[in-house]
Amino acid sequence: MTARPLPLLLLLLTCLPAAAAAQETAAVIAIPPLTTPDEKKTGAGSPAAVAWQASQLIASDLRSTAELVPIGPNQKDYYSYPEVTAPTFSRWRTLGAKFVLTGFVRSRPDGRMTVGCYVYDAVKGTELGRTGFVVAADEWRRAAHKCSGLAYTAATGAPGMFDTRIAYVAESGPANARVKRIAVMDGDGTNQSFVTAGDTLVLTPRLSPKAESVAYVSFGGGQPHVRIADLGSGEQRPLVPNGTMSFAPRFSPDGRRIVFSMQAGANTDIYVAQSDGGAVQRLTASPGIDTSPAFAPDGNRIVFESDRSGTQQLYVMNADGTDQRRISFGGGWYAAPEWSPDGEWIAFARRIPGGGSRIGIMKPDGSGEKLLTAGPSDEGPSWAASSRELVFQRAGPDGRNALYRVSLSGGEPRKTVTAQDASDPDWSGVLD
Amino acid sequence: MRRFLLVLGLAASAASAQLRVPPILARRPPPAPVLVGIDALRAEFTAQSGSAIVYFGGDSAVLTAPAKATLAAQAQWLRRHPELVVQIEGYADASDTRDHALAVGARRAEEVRNYLVLLGVPAAQLSTLSWGKERPAVMGTAPEALALNRRAVTVLVR
Repeated sequence: MTARPLPLLLLLLTCLPAAAAAQETAAVIAIPPLTTPDEKKTGAGSPAAVAWQASQLIASDLRSTAELVPIGPNQKDYYSYPEVTAPTFSRWRTLGAKFVLTGFVRSRPDGRMTVGCYVYDAVKGTELGRTGFVVAADEWRRAAHKCSGLAYTAATGAPGMFDTRIAYVAESGPANARVKRIAVMDGDGTNQSFVTAGDTLVLTPRLSPKAESVAYVSFGGGQPHVRIADLGSGEQRPLVPNGTMSFAPRFSPDGRRIVFSMQAGANTDIYVAQSDGGAVQRLTASPGIDTSPAFAPDGNRIVFESDRSGTQQLYVMNADGTDQRRISFGGGWYAAPEWSPDGEWIAFARRIPGGGSRIGIMKPDGSGEKLLTAGPSDEGPSWAASSRELVFQRAGPDGRNALYRVSLSGGEPRKTVTAQDASDPDWSGVLD
Repeated sequence: MRRFLLVLGLAASAASAQLRVPPILARRPPPAPVLVGIDALRAEFTAQSGSAIVYFGGDSAVLTAPAKATLAAQAQWLRRHPELVVQIEGYADASDTRDHALAVGARRAEEVRNYLVLLGVPAAQLSTLSWGKERPAVMGTAPEALALNRRAVTVLVR
């Protein structure tokens, strides 16, 4: 028994220095497998089986972050139900862990399950947070994602982006006649499903904050126009009820408004509408192309791009269209801005003459610009709920698009696996 | 070459028909050209205008001299066909970002429409549509490919 921890320790010694070099802020979190107070039945769907799968998913979630390095789950680290709230801190401290996550899965008489999680400071031996859910047997993944979020928030102070959804455009078919469909998947790439059938060209899905609905651009019936699909009922309707060209929709943080572009003649301006229909209000009136608007998290300001100066640059204005100010001044152009959920940053695509198109961030006042990717064909950044990571679209040398994730703290972008080629990603906030 | 083959084909079918149908039918005039209706008009429009397509500079909707020459020829032909429904379809290239590309395509289509109206084509005859950077004419991200995708196409709808 006493010799058992050795392999783990070795593993730790081999992987920690590399991780520490890449991410000096990364902290180790121990994830011994969740336990169950139920009798030991290990069949598929049993609490013990779900506890093991949930533990693996939590570790996988946290491994995908730049801030945490999980150790475990390891079968030999099982603990008893009472130990959920009394983990052996000294043991995890010895292994270098700064945090410990414990939890349990318990079956209920009604067929559902209770999933509980606890996060501790392993050094101080204090509880940092707990959470619990009653879920249907096939919904344990969401509960596990919530546990991951609890640990992530305890370690970083930022919301976890695990129980979220990502909308994107799934692409197939020949390059000059691409079939494009609006698709939605969980934040970890599972549960992929299609929203549109593929008979109509569609672009730029944008989820409502809790991912109940998605606004997107459809070429159905002639002019490209914004449509809204309810992801629960499947009902769809146009945002603006006439043949005008409208595009670039984004929900307000409370989901009640949609800001978007509408074209009249050679001029494109920004408008806002109630997301359930109703009056449309014009926000910009420059003779140039004003588009890609996105709300600040407080809903009081909007960032957008405009070529009124001659090239595409970023501007910030009040949500009623007043006080429009340019915030980007570098060479080349800036496009497709999105405000981070914590309000601190604005992400964008930037083309540098001779340097391709890259993803970058700047403060809302235009200071502190940083480029996060090397391009050459990156665009469409969308924030994770944590405000510490972005998903974006990258075109390969063959012109095929895929989704990538990049952390603000640096490192190489990592490809997100999708069933088909993918573009125009949009990452939701944390689900309820 | 294609025309020559077509004539041969017609001759062959006429010869085989003679074996089965009465002489009076076989001596009828040869069938009309293969292109009929809107297809024939499209072919004639492209031939007499030089091109149904005009090209633009990067991130620009300014009509170049060659583009204006093509549009002048298009306008001359379109003025003789006020019965046709015409749509100007604008496109951007892959180096443009998604939203901006839609607006640029619209702007290009609108520039072409305005110029054709200036040259006497009835405005009511001309609608516009932007494809953004969708449906490229040429694949790839080479400068030559991008240049061929920055375009507006005058489409005879019906």
